[in-house]
Amino acid sequence: MEEKEKEKKKKHRAKHSGPKAEKKRKRYLNDLGIGEEEDARKRNPKAFTVQSAVRMARTFHRTQDLKTKKHHIPVVDRTPLEPPPVVVVVVGPPKVGKSTLIKCLIKNFTRQKLVEIRGPVTIVSGKKRRLTIIECGCDINTMIDLAKVADLVLMLIDASFGFEMETFEFLNICQVHGFPKIMGVLTHLDTFKNNKQLKKTKKKLKHRFWTEVYPGAKLFYLSGMVHGEYQKQEIHNLGRFISVMKFRPLTWQTSHPYVLVDRMEDLTNPEDVRINPKCDRKVSVYGYLRGAHLKNKSQIHMPGVGDFTVSDVSFLPDPCALPEQQKKRSLSEKEKLIYAPLSGVGGIVYDKDAVYIDLGGSHAHENEEEGVRPNHELVQSLISTHSAIDVKMASSKVSLFMDSRPLGSEDVGQEFVMPKEERQIDLKTGRVRRKALFDEEEKKENDDAVSDEEDDQEEEEAMSEDGSDGDDEEDAEEESDEGEEMALGSAKRLKTEVAKEESMSELPAFADSEDDLEMSSEEEGKTAPEENEVEEDDYDEQGTYRNESSDSEFEAVSKGVADSEKYEIASEDREMRSQLSARSLKKKTVLTTDSGNCTAEEASESEVESLDEGDDEEQSHDELEAEVSNQKQFQHTWIKKADSSRQNKLEAVEAEDDDIENLLREEEEYEEKTDFSADTAGALKWKEDLTQKAAQAFLRQQQSTPNLRKLVYGTAVEDDEHESEDAGDELGGLFQVRRPDKESKEKANALDCSKFLIEKPQDWDLEEVMSSIKDCFVTGKWEDDKDAAKLLEEDEELYGDFEDLETGVVHKGKPAAEGDESENEEEGNDGKKSKPEAEEEEKKKERLDKKRKLKEMFDAEYDEGDATYFDDLKEEMHKQAQLNRAEFEDQDDETRVQYEGFRPGMYVRIEIENVPCEFVLNFDPHYPIILGGLGNSEGNVGYVQLRLKKHRWYKKILKTRDPLILSLGWRRFQTIPMFYIEDHNGRHRLLKYTPQHMHCGATFWGPITPQGTGFLAVQSVSGTTPDFRIAATGVVLDLDKSITVVKKLKLTGFPFKIYKNTSFIKGMFNSQLEVAKFEGAAIRTVSGIRGQIKKALRAPAGAFRATFEDKLLMSDIVFVRTWYPVSIPKFYNPVTSLLKPAGEKDTWRGMKTTGQLRHERGIKLKQNKDSLYKPIVREKRHFNKLHIPKALQKALPFKNKPKNLEKKGKTPKDQWRPAVIREPHEKKISALLNALSTVNNYKIKKARVKHRQQVKEYLKVKQKEEEQKLKRQKEAKKKIYRILGQREKKMQKSSLKGSSEGEKDV
Amino acid sequence: MAGGGGSSSQCLSYAGCNFLRQRLVLATLSGRPLKIRKIRAREEDPGLRDFEASFIRLIDKVTNGSRIEINQTGTTLYYQPGLLYGGSLEHDCSPSRSIGYYLESLLCLAPFMKHPLKIVLRGVTNDQVDPSVDNLKATALPLLKKFGIDGEGLEIKINRRGMPPKGGGEILFACPVRKVLQPIQFTDPGKIKRIRGTAYSVRVSPQMANRMVESARGILNKFLPDIYIYTDHMKGVSSGKSPGFGMCLIAETINGTILSAELASNPQGQGAAVLPEELGQNCAKLLLEEIYRGGCVDSTNQSLVLLLMTLGQQDVSKVLLGPLSPYTIEFLRHLRSFFQIMFKIETKSPEEEHKELIPE
Repeated sequence: MEEKEKEKKKKHRAKHSGPKAEKKRKRYLNDLGIGEEEDARKRNPKAFTVQSAVRMARTFHRTQDLKTKKHHIPVVDRTPLEPPPVVVVVVGPPKVGKSTLIKCLIKNFTRQKLVEIRGPVTIVSGKKRRLTIIECGCDINTMIDLAKVADLVLMLIDASFGFEMETFEFLNICQVHGFPKIMGVLTHLDTFKNNKQLKKTKKKLKHRFWTEVYPGAKLFYLSGMVHGEYQKQEIHNLGRFISVMKFRPLTWQTSHPYVLVDRMEDLTNPEDVRINPKCDRKVSVYGYLRGAHLKNKSQIHMPGVGDFTVSDVSFLPDPCALPEQQKKRSLSEKEKLIYAPLSGVGGIVYDKDAVYIDLGGSHAHENEEEGVRPNHELVQSLISTHSAIDVKMASSKVSLFMDSRPLGSEDVGQEFVMPKEERQIDLKTGRVRRKALFDEEEKKENDDAVSDEEDDQEEEEAMSEDGSDGDDEEDAEEESDEGEEMALGSAKRLKTEVAKEESMSELPAFADSEDDLEMSSEEEGKTAPEENEVEEDDYDEQGTYRNESSDSEFEAVSKGVADSEKYEIASEDREMRSQLSARSLKKKTVLTTDSGNCTAEEASESEVESLDEGDDEEQSHDELEAEVSNQKQFQHTWIKKADSSRQNKLEAVEAEDDDIENLLREEEEYEEKTDFSADTAGALKWKEDLTQKAAQAFLRQQQSTPNLRKLVYGTAVEDDEHESEDAGDELGGLFQVRRPDKESKEKANALDCSKFLIEKPQDWDLEEVMSSIKDCFVTGKWEDDKDAAKLLEEDEELYGDFEDLETGVVHKGKPAAEGDESENEEEGNDGKKSKPEAEEEEKKKERLDKKRKLKEMFDAEYDEGDATYFDDLKEEMHKQAQLNRAEFEDQDDETRVQYEGFRPGMYVRIEIENVPCEFVLNFDPHYPIILGGLGNSEGNVGYVQLRLKKHRWYKKILKTRDPLILSLGWRRFQTIPMFYIEDHNGRHRLLKYTPQHMHCGATFWGPITPQGTGFLAVQSVSGTTPDFRIAATGVVLDLDKSITVVKKLKLTGFPFKIYKNTSFIKGMFNSQLEVAKFEGAAIRTVSGIRGQIKKALRAPAGAFRATFEDKLLMSDIVFVRTWYPVSIPKFYNPVTSLLKPAGEKDTWRGMKTTGQLRHERGIKLKQNKDSLYKPIVREKRHFNKLHIPKALQKALPFKNKPKNLEKKGKTPKDQWRPAVIREPHEKKISALLNALSTVNNYKIKKARVKHRQQVKEYLKVKQKEEEQKLKRQKEAKKKIYRILGQREKKMQKSSLKGSSEGEKDV
Repeated sequence: MAGGGGSSSQCLSYAGCNFLRQRLVLATLSGRPLKIRKIRAREEDPGLRDFEASFIRLIDKVTNGSRIEINQTGTTLYYQPGLLYGGSLEHDCSPSRSIGYYLESLLCLAPFMKHPLKIVLRGVTNDQVDPSVDNLKATALPLLKKFGIDGEGLEIKINRRGMPPKGGGEILFACPVRKVLQPIQFTDPGKIKRIRGTAYSVRVSPQMANRMVESARGILNKFLPDIYIYTDHMKGVSSGKSPGFGMCLIAETINGTILSAELASNPQGQGAAVLPEELGQNCAKLLLEEIYRGGCVDSTNQSLVLLLMTLGQQDVSKVLLGPLSPYTIEFLRHLRSFFQIMFKIETKSPEEEHKELIPE
């Protein structure tokens, strides 16, 4: 009822947009009478006329500017059709709510609740988008790694606290390694009680965030928690934002393949681990491939572990696939997938060849209720077995009777007999076979049981999931002897023998698994009887097994070849070995093979070099073996072998010159081979039939198209090393006879020439030969679509249909389509499709064609005029992108990955060998594992030049020759950079420390990384410091191998003879030669006199003549400034933080700086005495007397002439004056006069003092008077001015009056 | 760990002296170290020849920081490539092979240098074994231009012509640097619109060239009227040290495909004297043979075009080639081992031998 009411209440809403509204509006306007001219331009043309040409030009200019500003250089769009999940990294300081947010997001998207999150979690978030969410801790290693792979960063900020250093550090890391999209999320907003305070904080944080990221960057607010979770609506909004976000492509990411690993498995043979727990491991890692295409066998880097070569890549079905295209709006619950193997989500795990069901870890079964499912029980019991089955067997006891002694396995030992081997010689093929023979045939059943058990064991070891049908296969093998060397289970004993057989008979020509596949598919349709198919199936299974564990066979084979003569003696021995090798699943790198006309090429490790020739041969056989083991089709294999055995025989005799010849011979051999197969009467009937058919098919193929791919990349192997062993006839036990070996010379050591010489030139005088190329010339006949006349005709058809607009006459083209239609109809009749359907299709096609043509015409008319360079470029890129997509679209993934590598978006499994055991032992899923693909030369180590700037927030300055940890490319590594600055003349001068607020250069020895790559440096990755951790940032400038950093070196010398401006200097050099090197060099004295080195002297070695701009003193020190090249320490130490034990992963410490070492050990730096600071004592300077030359003195005026004031020496005796001796009376007079003058002097003094006193007083009085006088004057002046002012006022008044009066008068 | 040896990338190893050039070139471009063993190990005169040594020296000149180790007998060569540096250089090529031997590799390397390469090569300009300088000038340069390597800097100039056995020629090769190559779609060779060529003669009668031209025209005129063969007679210093003559013919299609053929006279004192008429005729026939083979690129430049396709961007390039020469087949294999690039090879039509190659 209520609903109905509601419906009633709902008002009508008039449409505001859409065609209906438009129509209404038009009608309305029409009613008003202005409807016709709805266009303002028409209605009011004056308002739109040109008013100012200048302004118009400016506006035009401006619009153009704005337009071009938007342009980016167009790039080819390389995003795959099904992109990999978007990597969402959640970062933030501890306790900010990262895990909570992830959990909430996962719950939002998948309605599943994860308890604990470890490693990346992949979820389907929408119809076209998947997300991989991963949490980033505060360890700087993790932050650096994840910043490199992130597409979107959710940056959590505790609003109650504000920004923390981690946030800024992460932002800086992002800036350096390409800025992913960053979205801020404010949490802990519920701690604010005051609303105003909250608002303020929000604003403050937002603006700070904007300055760091970009103005307008999205910041999300999570206002509060409800039951330990964020509010549902807010999370929903956030999820919505994430799932519609667009991302910009980052250069590094798009140019390198990378994998964020979400699963890791240890594939090492448990036996190897048991023997040596520290042995290098073989691991397989899983994850979505992102970035660029990944090629097999390429170099990768695992940050925190090291560099590796991919030993194998394979793609797996997508564990978290996008839903199939449907026209639904939202995802169903079924499609909301989640995949997080490290967190234990996603119960079923697919491997290359197996499916694993997760049973919840090793202890899950303990607390589970029993009897849930019957088959479950079985699995559980299997899990809970702790000892191997043979151990159990050994320990188990059986009591036959109640009280009897229980029988142990050792008691049975005598009765159970191992099968003996018996040699049988096959009469037809003449080969030795070893039959497994038991004492009593009756015990067959028993034996079977045992072998079954063995099978089981093997399965456990080799992780192959071959069923227990190994026996059947074994039987089949024994029948069809040749191809079935891969015996499983109990057939192991036979293996070595068969393998030996293999080595004799196998030399595949142009064998390639791919083509075999093609063949097989061809044949299966036609020929294969049902039984064969069964057989084939078995073989397919077996084939996969082979791939897994074929190495054991390899080794067996290789050994078999190496000592085939000593075979009988060593057979026992070898058996042992082969068994051992079966356990060690160490696969040798399959060597790159080489076919046709030349050399054997090896992907060599260093070991290969050390191997002797015999080993070389072994390897080459390995290759063959690998080839063969790839073949899945039995009969084909068989053909190949028969054929190749022939070939082997022929090889010594015949020499192959050319690939083409090779091909031809191939055919011949096939014919021969058919005879051969007829000879082998022992073979089964159906088999024979098959071989013939296969041969026929092959021949057909060969004749129709010489398969070039096989020719080029195939693996017909001619190893020139082979003959070296064969030609080992010994002469007298000392010399070897060397036959000049034409064949190898022609191939490996032939003339290196790119010209393609013609063997049999055609006779160009013949008319028919000439006519064969006649059409290659413009004068010849053209193809239909290019012929001018034809084209003209076509044009008529296409464009014949037009309307003359002026006259309105419609011209119709010829109805050419009719004929087509009739033809089509006929075709339709022929085909299987029902007639109307086909017709409809045709019509549709036609319509589409017409539409397209019309569109083309339209485009040509309207678009081309506007097309700019930019548009053209864009169009070109678009075309290329389409071509790229189209080229491999129709191929299946298996072949596709061979050409273009594994494309991004695929879920791949990557096998890596020789991984340090710590990686597996100390595996912690909380730390991300990343595989970063390396470019061509990025695996090399060399000198790298950088532009570097110390981070302005880093407190210290950096010192040259102190180890520094750089994050560059995928890597984190410690190295020793040398800082330098470029002088104005381009010289790179070494700096001892980084400058404070300036860029400087740096050179280090480390991994080669392309120019323009950003990097950041930290001093230590261990622990946390309150300070900012990023020490420096910068960019790679150059990869020059020659180092140009120099430091200043001053050579000093001393003058030993001084002429006017020339001096002889010694002590600077040691020999004449050294001087000769420095001739013409500028030298200088400490006092600043400049000079030049002239020529070496003979007398003291190393002395030279030099000229200066002034005369030197003997006390001068002369020096020459030279530049000495600095050697860069070759120190490159990858940060292996992932190898640290769990919980200590952030404690990696590499090389310490000398400062740290000194601090730790308490060593004080011994300083040079000369560089110590001492109190400066300055002695008083004594200057020599000024000496004025006499001539100058004479010329001087008297005033300036030096006066001879100096005391005269003793006056000569003759000039002495006689002493005056007074009379007593005279004495009295003089004493009296003396006394009187004293009195007088005193009087005068007194009078003077008095006078002074009087004057002072007088001045005081005078001043007073003066002041008074001034006062009076002032007052008087005041009076006068006042009077004057009053008078003036009066005057003015009167004048005003007067004037007014005057006016009045007027 | 500290200062761990040279490089971690895998060293490739080969045996035999054949394809030495392409191995060294690809090693340099890919930055992977290389080891070649058993260089003529079984012969009376083992080890590297003088022209190979000269080539290695040239590689050393254009790179910076390469390490080359050769054992005492010269049968083993280890090469750790450095940085392609370029710059203005000079090199005296060994007269036992022509300059074309060196120039072919330089054409591969030059666009990827650090500084534009400008090199003067001295030696034999035309001989019977290697593609001559004239030929490379006419075919390889247009090919480079197709990949966007063009501009004023790109040129091959023959300053002096030198014939075997003594040589004495001199050429200038200059190439600008292009880090990014355009992908090409070159699958339609088009029809041949004109034939051009050069008939050269040094230290013989100038009439020789005219005689060659006459006879070649006699054959080619049956197919096409637009034929012009330049005669190039060099005198004095620019004529080198040995007498000889030869011819190089170029067929150009409307789509810019260039096919070429060439022949040179026997070196002085080796083999019988060749009549210029005969040489002209043979050369014209060789050109016809080349046309018969078809393809958008002539047989000598197949490897160059494949290399440039490999080193371009990550886009699909397509090219139509004639029958693959053994050199090219080996080159394709080497491309796979050095760059992990495999070409998708399709046969265009069964009766004609055409190949379409697509890398990505």
